[in-house]
Amino acid sequence: MYGGGNTFEKLKTKSVKDEDPEKLAEFEARIARGEKIEPSDWMPDLYKRQLIRMIEQHAHSEIIGALPEGTWVTRAPGFKRKLALMAKVQDEVGHGQLLYSAAETLGKSREDMIDDLISGKSKYSNIFNYPAFTWADSCFISWLVDAGAIVNQLANSKGSYGPYCRALDRICIEESFHLKYGHHCVIHMATGTPKQRQMMQEAIDRWWPPMMHFFGPSDKISAHTEILMKWKVKMASNDECRNQFLDMYVPKIWELGLTIPDPNLKKNEETRKWEYTEPDWDEFKRVINGDGPCNKERLAVRAMAEERGRWVRKALLNPKSKYVTPLA
Amino acid sequence: MKSLDPRLNRVDIYKYQQELKPKASMDQFETYEVFVRAKDGKAMQHEGIVHGPNKEMAFLFAKEQFSRRGACVDLWVALTSDLMVSPISDNEENIYDLVQLEVDDGGTTEAYEVFHLYKRGKHHQYQGSLQAKGFHDAYQNASEVFNDGKPVLNVWVIKKADLLCSTDEDRVIWSTLSEKTFRDAIAYKALDKIKKFKEEQGTGNKL
Amino acid sequence: MNELAIKELLFKMADDQLILGHRNSEWNGLGPILEEDIAFCSMAQDKIGQSLAFYSILHEMGESDPDKVAFTRNAGQFHNCHLVELPIGEYDFSLIRHFLFDTAEYLRFQSLTNSSFTPIAEVAAKIKGEIQYHVLHANTWIKQLGTGTDESIQRMQKSLNMAFPYALGIFEESQYEGDLLSENIFEGEHILRERWIEEVDRVVGQTELILPDLAAEEAHLGGRIGEHTKHLQPLLDEMSEVINIDPNAEW
Repeated sequence: MYGGGNTFEKLKTKSVKDEDPEKLAEFEARIARGEKIEPSDWMPDLYKRQLIRMIEQHAHSEIIGALPEGTWVTRAPGFKRKLALMAKVQDEVGHGQLLYSAAETLGKSREDMIDDLISGKSKYSNIFNYPAFTWADSCFISWLVDAGAIVNQLANSKGSYGPYCRALDRICIEESFHLKYGHHCVIHMATGTPKQRQMMQEAIDRWWPPMMHFFGPSDKISAHTEILMKWKVKMASNDECRNQFLDMYVPKIWELGLTIPDPNLKKNEETRKWEYTEPDWDEFKRVINGDGPCNKERLAVRAMAEERGRWVRKALLNPKSKYVTPLA
Repeated sequence: MKSLDPRLNRVDIYKYQQELKPKASMDQFETYEVFVRAKDGKAMQHEGIVHGPNKEMAFLFAKEQFSRRGACVDLWVALTSDLMVSPISDNEENIYDLVQLEVDDGGTTEAYEVFHLYKRGKHHQYQGSLQAKGFHDAYQNASEVFNDGKPVLNVWVIKKADLLCSTDEDRVIWSTLSEKTFRDAIAYKALDKIKKFKEEQGTGNKL
Repeated sequence: MNELAIKELLFKMADDQLILGHRNSEWNGLGPILEEDIAFCSMAQDKIGQSLAFYSILHEMGESDPDKVAFTRNAGQFHNCHLVELPIGEYDFSLIRHFLFDTAEYLRFQSLTNSSFTPIAEVAAKIKGEIQYHVLHANTWIKQLGTGTDESIQRMQKSLNMAFPYALGIFEESQYEGDLLSENIFEGEHILRERWIEEVDRVVGQTELILPDLAAEEAHLGGRIGEHTKHLQPLLDEMSEVINIDPNAEW
């Protein structure tokens, strides 16, 4: 699971104009031909750094994303839901592992990435800073937040970096049941008892604003990302992804008789684009910088998992072992 | 501060943040490359890595990370640093044609396992085993034995002795994999429910 | 065949698996190593899947459907041993419990593949591979942490000391042991316990850990007849919190 909303800020890195022009041309030609870049290829500093940041954020999002749904793991109603939710949360941890591994091929160690997550230096998808108050909230997350993540993942799976694409292929295969499971849960809630319907509607009302933030700031106010598009690091604009999501899922929400708390939400039949109330981007900024309802708890939980597990890792660590960058 | 997650209310999650010590650099496990064969007849293929303290643990981890879905009949793990890697060529170029390695005569003959990458973005695939006196020797032998003209982009070679491979007896650990239908999209059909709901809404009381 | 004896056997096995699977799922997303988190969760899913298989046999024998049986009984109606209902503690306790319990499971199911009651024999044969992995996992961890650092050895020893008398409660005998044996349904808890002690001793012997003295330990009994620790009811309340919002709804 992954959210857009990456703010590609300037990094202290070798500027593109300082790179070897011949190598750069070869590199860009390879990408233009549609070929993947593999770890041992030459790549410009900026490409490497931006990829690490992006893949790392995606990995952190998976690990943190396991927590709101994890809230309901012990309370899932019935065998089918219990098994499915356990498998889903497990997949999220697994996807985090796959993504850290892909980022590791670029030279950053998993340890450093986890340290940066816990210290707050690295970001993760903002939507997971919100609380999952009820079972219906977990259903919303399982269906619609996953749906959003899949929109992003499908776009990025056509990107240029081999290890990231391979990780995304595997993730997409495993995620296919997440979406169906989530939708299945929401359908049951929406078509169930009045109490279930009400719970589901309230969850939608709560989660819709963060969901609209999910794909990141509107293109109008986003940082310029032309070179990242050229290098197939960023594959689609935030607004494009958001629009695709709305197109695919708003009708499915409405067909269940559920409402969406945005009176301006409608599809413009002429432009074929969805119109909506502009999300509050100040709130987005506030929350992603640490001031959201669950930020502290999410990071505390990761810190706890690390610290509580320290004695385990210490007991297993072989002092003679030497970590090297993985191959693919 | 109470959490919505009952599991977290049974632990003092905040006390650990105070105890956070900076980690020793490289305070982590080595990586192991993982290879999986989904079915008999299909190629053994590289899937990814696991971090682990040793091969036995890496095997346990690899089994869950890379074979908890789909099918699996064979699983291999190898320490990343035990794999020797050739340079990489462009698509359509055969690395065997571009790169020849100097072989020195010495070293004991043993089995080496060879993997090929045929296209950027795809997975390395197992070609087979051959006898050689060293990695360069293995590569040169592979360029004769496993090079059938199809362009090979990248070659990995490892000593057979460095691989931890599952055995035929181990195959039973995957025998119930196909029954975990709760992990399959196909187990979540609900079109009937939606249809029924729409019908009821359609015929519902209109005031 | 003695149907009551069979049902009791099924209930206790299914209840053990459900409660332990549930406990182990509490580590989901919170484990000490990412890869281990993933592995531990798979095994928890296996346990719950196994309990479902046994509740399904019970359903065929006239009991309510598995969801009802698992999610609406109270503590006094459960037949799991005390070991599985204890809180997860730290990872050393959970691993020790995993080792002690799964070793017994492996031996139990090895025996049950020969059961004269076909439905059980079939399930036992089918899940053999899963339990084989569980035991491999447990043994590997016990050996690693039981020989690792002073701290890991100390922690594992403490947990082993604490868990051992509870583990003995796995083998609490049923009033139907005689029937189960004479009808070839199950070889019985007595012989299972003997095999278990031998196997546990063998594995622990490969570490710096010391197995508690059998003669000095008193088993925690009562679980099989519905007498539980204070931990079970809160566990069940949590497990059924959502389903209890409306037990007749479809979730």
